[in-house]
Amino acid sequence: MTDEPILLVNGISKSFGGVKAVEGVSLSVKKGSITGLIGPNGSGKSTLFNLISGAEKKNPGGSIEFDGKQIDALPPHKRSELGMGRTFQTPRLFPGMTVLENTMVAPRGQKGERPFVAPLRRRWEGQEVELAKKAKEQMTRLEIDKLYGKLTSEISGGQMKLAQLSNALMEDPKMLLLDEPTAGVAPRLAQDIFQSITNERHERGTTFFIIEHRLEVLFKHVDTVFVMHQGRIIMEDKPEAIVKDKRLAEAYLGI
Amino acid sequence: MFFGLGGVVGATVAADLLPLFSGAAVGNICDISSRLSRESIALAYPAISVSVWVIALAFAMLAGGIMGLVASYPALRVKEEWFLSMILLVGGETFRIVVTNTPEIGCGFNGLDGITTPFYWLSNYLPSGPLQAEVPTGLYAAVIVLLAIGCFVFAQKICNSPYGRLLKSVRDDKVAAEALAKDVSRVRKQIMVIGSIMAGLAGALYVYYIGVATPEDYIPALTFGIWVMMILGGYANNRGLLLGAFVITMLDRGSLVSGIALESYFPTLNSNLIVYGRYMVEAVILLLLLVFRRKGLLPETRVKTKAYTLFDFGKKNAKPSSQPAEVPPKGDATTG
Repeated sequence: MTDEPILLVNGISKSFGGVKAVEGVSLSVKKGSITGLIGPNGSGKSTLFNLISGAEKKNPGGSIEFDGKQIDALPPHKRSELGMGRTFQTPRLFPGMTVLENTMVAPRGQKGERPFVAPLRRRWEGQEVELAKKAKEQMTRLEIDKLYGKLTSEISGGQMKLAQLSNALMEDPKMLLLDEPTAGVAPRLAQDIFQSITNERHERGTTFFIIEHRLEVLFKHVDTVFVMHQGRIIMEDKPEAIVKDKRLAEAYLGI
Repeated sequence: MFFGLGGVVGATVAADLLPLFSGAAVGNICDISSRLSRESIALAYPAISVSVWVIALAFAMLAGGIMGLVASYPALRVKEEWFLSMILLVGGETFRIVVTNTPEIGCGFNGLDGITTPFYWLSNYLPSGPLQAEVPTGLYAAVIVLLAIGCFVFAQKICNSPYGRLLKSVRDDKVAAEALAKDVSRVRKQIMVIGSIMAGLAGALYVYYIGVATPEDYIPALTFGIWVMMILGGYANNRGLLLGAFVITMLDRGSLVSGIALESYFPTLNSNLIVYGRYMVEAVILLLLLVFRRKGLLPETRVKTKAYTLFDFGKKNAKPSSQPAEVPPKGDATTG
């Protein structure tokens, strides 16, 4: 981890009708860190992620900078091309495909993804086998390699979370936005997921920005935590300091 | 819309080029005299006849592709495929009305006729009789079938490739595909253009087959007929589409033939009842399918790439290196 920020968010807002979901949020995430984002339900965490990844458009004003580039005006797929991956709170996998095929969608610049190369099997088959091997290695690291022949409709919620993580990791992103990677997952698996995240960070230097409700697990692995409440960031500190702060309980309990 | 456009463009190109290549005066292509001259040129010059046909097909495909690209812009803005079909239906109807009322486009309401099959000249070499008309038409029909097979193979190959996987991912979850750096708009445009090129080709082939391009052929019932074919066979399955097209076409042509045949046996019977009754049958098929079998007769197939055959579990080709895990690992640590 360096002190250099990979993500710089400056004063962005989002309103849905009259509801201000995100209000003037500014934050910075350090390169190579694992950063947490916590807060009660409805505090705007997922919306903030959607604004960063481009799935939702922010209100005019403010800026988002990723890896030294201004990205506010870019469509979501361009942001992803720059190395920003993400997963979703409710896993979004492609139905009717196996876990392996899902991961195989992820690689960029596949030869067989061009419509007029696609009918010429010989031109892309070699690459396809290579990518399938890479995808399998990826799955082995996340310990879901046993599942790769299963349809995504046949696996459990926790496995879906891992499959999604595997999709997002396939292209070696610089930063990953994880929206509740362990929600609805058995406690033991939650530990495993965070262990995999920490391993990825050490091995490849990936930055992780994680929304999580399972604080006891999250706090063991993160470097910095942001607390969000009613669309604003109310605290930023090391996890040890956050747990002691009275404002955290206030935000969650509404006292 | 693309089908009609292909037809009109193909016919116009043919009507303009035939006299041009043979050195005759082009004149007004809508005149009855020019129709006769087209037929005599087609009869006299085999090489011109065939090459004009090829050029007409190329132009029809080009026109279809350009129109598809244009139509993809509004199509990109809608979220549900049903709205897309509404756009195309309205587009098709607009096209028909414009052509009907514009004499400059494909001779307007009267249509452009005298478009003979590219093998019309064969009748010079055949003894007079029914064969004289049947052989060129039959040969042309065989060529159409070959081209249809070509399109089918192309579509199958596209579907069973990484591109097919990309198409499914874009269709099923746009947001997730975008999060994996897939340019959803570009993929949608591409496939729209490919589809409309094929439709343009089909339109020109059809006009050459029936010999006339008239806007009355491009009524919404045509679009609905194609829609019924898709839903009957199973959209998202090329074989299903073929099956649906076969059943509905047999119904169309069969009702026509059987209606006329029955009328000769029962003079009191109004053959229109059978000939146009097919629309009612089609509507009933559509409703029944939508209620009881939304996926059509043949369900969607999986994308079959090398990855599918190499690593698919429970299949013969599964790699022995991987542990046998056909049984879901219930109670395993990886179960959430």
